Amino acid sequence: MLKIAYGAAGLALASLVAGSANAQLIAHKDISLAMAVTMARTAIETCKGNGYNVSVNVLGRDGEVILALRNELAGPATFENSMKKAYTARTFRRPSGEFAAGVKGNPTAGALMLNNIVAAQGALPIKVGDDTIGAIGVSGAPGGEKDEACAKAGIDKVSAELK
Amino acid sequence: MLRTAHLATGLALAMTCGVATSTNAQLASHKDLTLPVALTIAETALETCKAQGNKVSVHVVGRDAEVLVAMRGDDTGPHTMENSLRKAITSRMQRRPSGEFANAVKQNPTAGALHLANMIPAQGALPIKVGDDVIGAIGVSGSPGGDKDEACAKAGIDKVADQLK
Repeated sequence: MLKIAYGAAGLALASLVAGSANAQLIAHKDISLAMAVTMARTAIETCKGNGYNVSVNVLGRDGEVILALRNELAGPATFENSMKKAYTARTFRRPSGEFAAGVKGNPTAGALMLNNIVAAQGALPIKVGDDTIGAIGVSGAPGGEKDEACAKAGIDKVSAELK
Repeated sequence: MLRTAHLATGLALAMTCGVATSTNAQLASHKDLTLPVALTIAETALETCKAQGNKVSVHVVGRDAEVLVAMRGDDTGPHTMENSLRKAITSRMQRRPSGEFANAVKQNPTAGALHLANMIPAQGALPIKVGDDVIGAIGVSGSPGGDKDEACAKAGIDKVADQLK
């Protein structure tokens, strides 16, 4: 499913951008596992410091899971929720909370029918300039804004390397 | 799919309770993996394989075969995430190395267990135990050979051996 979506998007993008030199490959940066581990650990520790136990997912450019961490002290739903929030942030290239706010006025939005999309705050896109290369999703704190703050702490920790 | 596995575990627990009828007010008491321990196991396995020149992905699952850590190694094949997960689940369900299960089904290719969701006859996963109690499993995929994956899984468990009690 994800693979098909990626293939379609990738082809469309490559065709548009590289129309004048159609033999060119696309070059881009991607998240390494080491960077994902640093972001996820930082997010969990930040939330723990604030008094909350959270689960975290870090997804890559294709929406693929690079790192998924289930916090045994958080609720069972947090593992799935953090993944879906991250997938939503990656897909729409913006905070999942912004997407959630956007669909409040349009509860039948088609985007809500896509798999793994969730209208809930707590995930942020991971960017290199304007290029979204992944997302981090957090779930478990009492309030999406508290989850999002921990996601931000995770990204901030590696911001010097996101270029 | 995992939910099915979870229900099966629930049934197994119910049977355990059935055995304990003489003291039916007692709760089950057991140890479980924490995220820090699971993460140490996974990172050690991945680094061990990396030091051997092999790029792998790793899954650590808990008592109910629920995913505790899913870790996609840099530059690994796309299948390594599914494969490491299924090896780990197989090892947890069978309470033995997934490679032992693989050998067993060679003699019995129509084994019913092969038809359960997520079971896979492939070496590279080991159960995580506290004494005789299986509390989870670690699965590794990506090395050229299940024996190499399994060695990294073992390194991960060995790293936390003093905490598995």
